[in-house]
Amino acid sequence: MAEGNVQGPSEVPDELKDTVTLTTLEKMIEAMGDLLSPVVSPIANAARSNSVWPLTFGTSCCAIEMMSVGMSKFDISRFGSEVFRATPRQADMIITAGTITRKMAPALITLYEQLPEPKYVIAMGACTVTGGMFNDSYSVVQGVDRIIPVDIYLPGCPPRPEGILDALLKLQQKIRTESYAERKKKKYRQNAVRYVDYDTGRPLEDLVDEARYETALALDPLKSLQESK
Amino acid sequence: MSETPAAKPPEEPKGPGLCGQFLKDHGIATTRLPDSCGVETIEIDGAHLEAAMKLLRGSSEIKLDYLVAVSGVDSADTFDSVYQLWSYSNNNELIIKVRVKKTDVVEGQLPLVPSLSRFWSAANWHERETYDLVGIRYYGHPYLRRILNVWDWDGHPLRRDYKQLVDALNDKAPGSFR
Amino acid sequence: MATDTEVDLTPRLKTDEMLINMGPQHPATHGVLRLILTLDGEIVRHTEPILGHLHRAQEWQGQNRTWFQYQALIDRVDYLSGMFTSWAMARAAEVVDGCEVPERAEYLRVMVSEMNRITSHLLWLGTYLIDLGAMFGFPFYPFREREKLLELFEEIAGQRMMFNYIRIGGVMRNPKDAWLSKLKKFTEEFPDRVDEYEAIVTENPIFLKRTKGVGILRKELGMDYGITGPSIRASGVNIDLRRTKPYSVYPKLKFDVPVNDRDGDTFDRYIFRIREMRQSNEIIKQCLDMLPQGEISGKKQIAGLRVKAGEGFAAVESPRGTLGCYIISNGSDRAYRIKWRNPSFCNLSILPELLKNHPIADVMAIFGSIDVILPDVDR
Ligand code: SF4
Repeated sequence: MAEGNVQGPSEVPDELKDTVTLTTLEKMIEAMGDLLSPVVSPIANAARSNSVWPLTFGTSCCAIEMMSVGMSKFDISRFGSEVFRATPRQADMIITAGTITRKMAPALITLYEQLPEPKYVIAMGACTVTGGMFNDSYSVVQGVDRIIPVDIYLPGCPPRPEGILDALLKLQQKIRTESYAERKKKKYRQNAVRYVDYDTGRPLEDLVDEARYETALALDPLKSLQESK
Repeated sequence: MSETPAAKPPEEPKGPGLCGQFLKDHGIATTRLPDSCGVETIEIDGAHLEAAMKLLRGSSEIKLDYLVAVSGVDSADTFDSVYQLWSYSNNNELIIKVRVKKTDVVEGQLPLVPSLSRFWSAANWHERETYDLVGIRYYGHPYLRRILNVWDWDGHPLRRDYKQLVDALNDKAPGSFR
Repeated sequence: MATDTEVDLTPRLKTDEMLINMGPQHPATHGVLRLILTLDGEIVRHTEPILGHLHRAQEWQGQNRTWFQYQALIDRVDYLSGMFTSWAMARAAEVVDGCEVPERAEYLRVMVSEMNRITSHLLWLGTYLIDLGAMFGFPFYPFREREKLLELFEEIAGQRMMFNYIRIGGVMRNPKDAWLSKLKKFTEEFPDRVDEYEAIVTENPIFLKRTKGVGILRKELGMDYGITGPSIRASGVNIDLRRTKPYSVYPKLKFDVPVNDRDGDTFDRYIFRIREMRQSNEIIKQCLDMLPQGEISGKKQIAGLRVKAGEGFAAVESPRGTLGCYIISNGSDRAYRIKWRNPSFCNLSILPELLKNHPIADVMAIFGSIDVILPDVDR
């Protein structure tokens, strides 16, 4: 994510051209800029907030509670989250239900990046908030916010289905109050916070650093040794 | 309830047990270890493991037909590979241990134990798991690759001297949670 | 792939095998299993399961936490049947420690575990039908009954899924009389509900088409792979620890273990789980009648809980099969080594054999029928 790459709010960054499409309505909103945004945003937001469709993403125990919330007793479709979609292209948010491990992290990042904008994340369960019960396990990522941006944190191990409904309502509130123009100004939040390598389970940036250091060492052993001192 | 036999202090067992005797009759030497909670436990040399298993599984009087689990243990001065065997037809149990002394392991290499997976399919994944977590190399295994951790993981987590990786994904000092 | 036309089509088209990656995020893998399938046309020739996407280091935690802390963690080994994981470890620790378990506690253990077996099978039933494509509608029924049991669990253990109810030496809490009568009411109406499911599913022609004769598991093969639980009983091996290696108060209870008389297919594995639910219901009824008064724990539930030095293996019959726990204790407040023998891990290892030469459409029907739960595989 190049920091110096400042873009106007109405432009889609080049590298995202294929994933982000602006509808005519959105283009109009943008053209009118801040002027019309206070009028149109609430309408668009109201529509958007009442049809947040989640992705079926569940890795472990919390997923069972997520399943219960879709079933007869709690029935999440009363709140507009009609169906759980199996593909990220059709979903608006991820409920990260269950522990994310180093091996699973790359898959979650891919899914997150495949969601079309605007996209939201509810970190469900202690495991995805901080690592939870398995906080100090060698193979667990200590909170999904280390790999993707999170909107709502929902603690509990597992949270009750009512908790999930509450988180959903909070998310709806957030969507309703946010200004679309503002969201654009903050850049498209397309990217993950950090990438993870599937084969080693380590952050990509560490591997790159290591590789750089090794090349430098190979090219000029003395100098890099001095630098490292 | 009297279903749990009281654990006695491990006393020296007298003579070989049922399975030990059976193996002795067929010319395989075993050492009897203290029973673990009433189950006969024997130690066997790695070289005889496969032959012994074949006998125990094939004979009609013992017929240990379920390989329940293979566990690896990093004991004080040995690496143990522990096999839990059950008999479905004879309602019998046996624990076999193969021990590799830590002093025998070449520096920088893993302890070696023969693999059972060619002859007993259940052993396949159990051995891969033990290789992954405890770091015992089962020679003769058709596909000895890490099964639970990522493929290029460093170290074997259930070793006593395992040092946890600290990076941006997992940076709590181990044990800080307690 | 035989055609009844006379034309020979075989050698003209050059065909190649195709690799398909399935998962780790797939709605029907019940979590995070990754399968690499080698296809020849529509037919699966080879499967490589890749596990460990949910490896949470349970065994490592076992030797780093005190016994008391670890008791709370092990419900997460198999979250659909947390009672059984607690029970397996409690039994192993009791065998090593030699402590007595009061009779009332044993009855309560049997009771809550059988309730747990029902919830686990109900969830399996619901999700299995989703796997087969009955996306909406039917799965609501099993969840209805499941919620009733979860409410009872919540009342007695304080949690819907992570009970931490069975402790080393006994159980955690005494049920109230109102709870017992609620459970009694549930057991009375439950058989009717099972009839309801059977009326919808068992003779449904689509269901029969998808499951009959699919994924036949040979008895010898199953034993070679160490398969346990309903999956192998549906193939004619009578291995049920409640009868073959009786523990707790099971010898005093009357119940059948349904066992098939031939090599079972996917449909058999379904029908045997349904029968098992009925039996579990019977067991709960008997326990309710026989429940004695008395203590509920033979060991003080304190943070400094210790287990005497020694080693031992104990297993219970979980809804998925033999759930074993191998403990080595050195007498301190932590275990020296805890090894789990998970039924799902062993049952899953047969998947490549079962999928061989089946069309790709059957992959989920077969995978669902062996009832694997991923944290139980990966720990
Ligand atoms: S928060 Fe608790 S219930 Fe949820 S995935 Fe983690 S351990 Fe399981």
